[in-house]
Amino acid sequence: MGAGRFDERFLRKLEYLYVVSKKIFAGQNRAERRTRQVGSGIEFADHRDYVAGDDLRTIDWSVYGRMERLLVRLFEEDEDLSIYVLIDASASMALGAPSKLDLAMRAGAALAYVGLANLDRVAVYPIGEGLGEGLPPARGKGRILPLLSWMGGVEANGRTSLAKAAAAFVHRHRRRGIVIVISDFYDPAGYAEALDLLRYNRFEPTVIQVTGADDARPPLRGDVTIVDVETGDEREVTVSSAVLDAYARRHSALLRDLARFCRERSIPCFQTTSDVAFDDLVLRAFRGSGLLA
Amino acid sequence: MTIFGLTLAGLPAGAAAAIALVGAAALTGLYLLKLRRRRVVVPFAPLWAAALGETQSERLSRRLRRWLSLALQMLFGALVLLAAVDPRPAEADRAGRSVLILIDRSASMSATDEPGSRLGSARRVARGIVAGLGPADRAMVATFASGVAAETGFEADVRSLEGAIDEVTGTEEPADLPRALGFAAAALRGRPHPTLILVSDGAYGANARAQAPAQALSGVDVRFAPVGTRGDNVAIISFAARRDPADRGSVQASVVVQSFRDGPCEVALEIGTVADGGAQEGPGSEGAAAEIVVVERARLGLAPGERKTHVLHEVAAPGARLVARLVRASGGGGGGDDLAVDDRTYAVVPALPRRRVLRVGGGNLFLEGALLSLGGQVVVRRVSTAAAESTRARWPDYDAVIFDGVAPAPAPTAGRFLYFDPAGAGSPFPARGALRDPVVSDTQKLHPLVKHVALADLNVREAQRLTIEPGDTAVASSFGSPLIVARVRPGLRVAALAFDPRHSDLPMRTAFPLLLANAVEWLASAGVDTDAADVATGGVSLRTGRTFRVGDADIPVARVGFHRVATAGGAAGAPAAVVAANLSDPVESDTHPSAALTLAGRAWPRPPDAGPGGPRQDLWAVALIAAVALSLFEWWSYHRRWTV
Repeated sequence: MGAGRFDERFLRKLEYLYVVSKKIFAGQNRAERRTRQVGSGIEFADHRDYVAGDDLRTIDWSVYGRMERLLVRLFEEDEDLSIYVLIDASASMALGAPSKLDLAMRAGAALAYVGLANLDRVAVYPIGEGLGEGLPPARGKGRILPLLSWMGGVEANGRTSLAKAAAAFVHRHRRRGIVIVISDFYDPAGYAEALDLLRYNRFEPTVIQVTGADDARPPLRGDVTIVDVETGDEREVTVSSAVLDAYARRHSALLRDLARFCRERSIPCFQTTSDVAFDDLVLRAFRGSGLLA
Repeated sequence: MTIFGLTLAGLPAGAAAAIALVGAAALTGLYLLKLRRRRVVVPFAPLWAAALGETQSERLSRRLRRWLSLALQMLFGALVLLAAVDPRPAEADRAGRSVLILIDRSASMSATDEPGSRLGSARRVARGIVAGLGPADRAMVATFASGVAAETGFEADVRSLEGAIDEVTGTEEPADLPRALGFAAAALRGRPHPTLILVSDGAYGANARAQAPAQALSGVDVRFAPVGTRGDNVAIISFAARRDPADRGSVQASVVVQSFRDGPCEVALEIGTVADGGAQEGPGSEGAAAEIVVVERARLGLAPGERKTHVLHEVAAPGARLVARLVRASGGGGGGDDLAVDDRTYAVVPALPRRRVLRVGGGNLFLEGALLSLGGQVVVRRVSTAAAESTRARWPDYDAVIFDGVAPAPAPTAGRFLYFDPAGAGSPFPARGALRDPVVSDTQKLHPLVKHVALADLNVREAQRLTIEPGDTAVASSFGSPLIVARVRPGLRVAALAFDPRHSDLPMRTAFPLLLANAVEWLASAGVDTDAADVATGGVSLRTGRTFRVGDADIPVARVGFHRVATAGGAAGAPAAVVAANLSDPVESDTHPSAALTLAGRAWPRPPDAGPGGPRQDLWAVALIAAVALSLFEWWSYHRRWTV
């Protein structure tokens, strides 16, 4: 499966996406990405209260004149953009036709390629019950082939724990950047803790939810025994129209809740099914929210 | 066994209970048996748990629906079992009758005063009786004319009974009511609530009514369902042909026509001959295979009930076949002629048998002339007196041996002999003197020898005084002295004239050849049954519905018309006799229907419209229909997921 994941056609589309990204982000200098990192730059970033020991030259006297409150000015610091791509490689991602993992890998590879082509630092990690061994941050287009080679061999297995994966990630990486989480977000513990953890650690999460084409309304009828692909839990179910309707409502609510959660926290969120072409997904991401902008 | 007022006429109760227990256990087992469920791998089971949690309140209803499905299957099985045990109301079952529907299909039932004939009306009446049978009644259909036939057994299957009724066909035979009622009494003997329903026009004679087995039907509920509306019929009740006794070569025919109508009428009578059309005989062949050549037409005016005889002389040659038919009766009293089977009758002119005669004696022109006058009726061989003895061994081969003036000794003890003036030791009647100028004083006029022969003024010059033995008959005598004698012994017939005809004026009279013909016929008929002889010659008119014996054969006659009678095992090419059969039954031709029937003083009321216990209730059919409907509902509800 891995070898066929990134074929000739895929590589041609990568070039196309890179060209498109150049057009979308035209005017931007290479490696000139702004981060929220506060430093010694000249551009005003923010205010904070004065504490003993701060440089008096940074006190904003105009604010003091108005509010009689001592606040210091903070300035942005230019730095290289770090792009972290976290791809859910749990067992649930193996289901679907085509499998969700395939789309996730392709979309992740495309985003990584664009980042590398733009001389950004790109790292790709598989996540499941924790943070897997992936490719550490690297820069340059020369990293493309190793990246694709590695991503082509990733298989889906294990359980999902987004919180554990996020915790391991933030513990390992201090350098802030964009974290693109590509998953189906089928986590019994939920996704809120993981995304909040990323935000709290000054990362900029972007969510790409990939669900199976039949996940919303499985083609089941009658008496069946459902088996959770990750936990192995079994449950006897008599699938009727009412049960299917209830399940569809639950699934729709899951997606809706995730979208609302991201919206409330200004987290870019893209939801798709596995039968969508990866380039369509990536372009939507480029145009939709200024990803990689 | 009665359960809730119902008796079980089908599957026994024990068997039904056993089947019910086994079936219920099997059905329950199947429902309780856990079926292997299909395993489906899903990406996120908690979603299913949440979905099922939403329908938690439906879990009980889903369980109830499962049991509802089981209940429906149980109910379906119970309905099928109920149909199998065939429940019937016990009250009706106890009142179940054994009904014998006896349908008259005699000749009078083909009268057309009812739509499609009386028999068609009888079939409709019979079907109505079958439709009105009670739920526990058993019925039998039987038909009768001259014989009785059981068309079914005692059964409750309405369709089988109606099918048998529809196949009843008419006959051309008269009705034998006593025989039919005897059959009915025997068939109903020992059966519960025996009921006899006679469907007929009631056209029975007084004799038939009187001979009805009233005693045998004493415990039977007898009913009469009449058919027929009127009695407009004119019939030929008799048609016969015979040889003229005075002239055997001539044939006479006699037709008797009777009107049974209520008003005067006029009919045209046609009599014709039919050429031999080949193997086909009977009324159907006349138009197709043979053409009728009308030899006589007559118009007859008939008063109500009047009977007229029409005689034809010298109608046809011997062996010819005759047909008499009525053409278009007209007059008062309604439509005309309702019964066609008696409008046409048949007769066969008897053929003359050729007699083999041996004349022994000298020349005798008178005798030879008289024998010649008999024409083709006789074949004569002449033997001289001297050669008489040489022919003794062949005397039995001849129909008649005439000894003219000779009496070979010893007198024969077997055979057929005619003596003219026997004398000598060989005379079968010893003479004891002579008789001069005898006068015929006494004559046995009914004796065949002298039928149509006048001897009163016979002149005889001289005769012998013959001695006769006890048992002999003096056919003609002169004051106690026999002039013509007849002797009949086993195997022997002898006739004798005590005088030489040449010594009388007998040869000058027409009586002589007549006497000679009578003698030959009388001698030739010795030891032969007249009827058989007539059948052999085709001169018998048979009546339909009877069986006639010819030799060793019983000949049943069912249809009017010509019938060819051949002896089985006869020589190839041997000609078969043709006999005629007619209805010839004034009782049957009198088609006046009876609205009521009384036999032996017992009135037969009309049958009721329906049997006791009300109309038939086929509960088993209702149960079966309910089972099918339930099965369809269960199938529909399954696909609607109401019972899943």
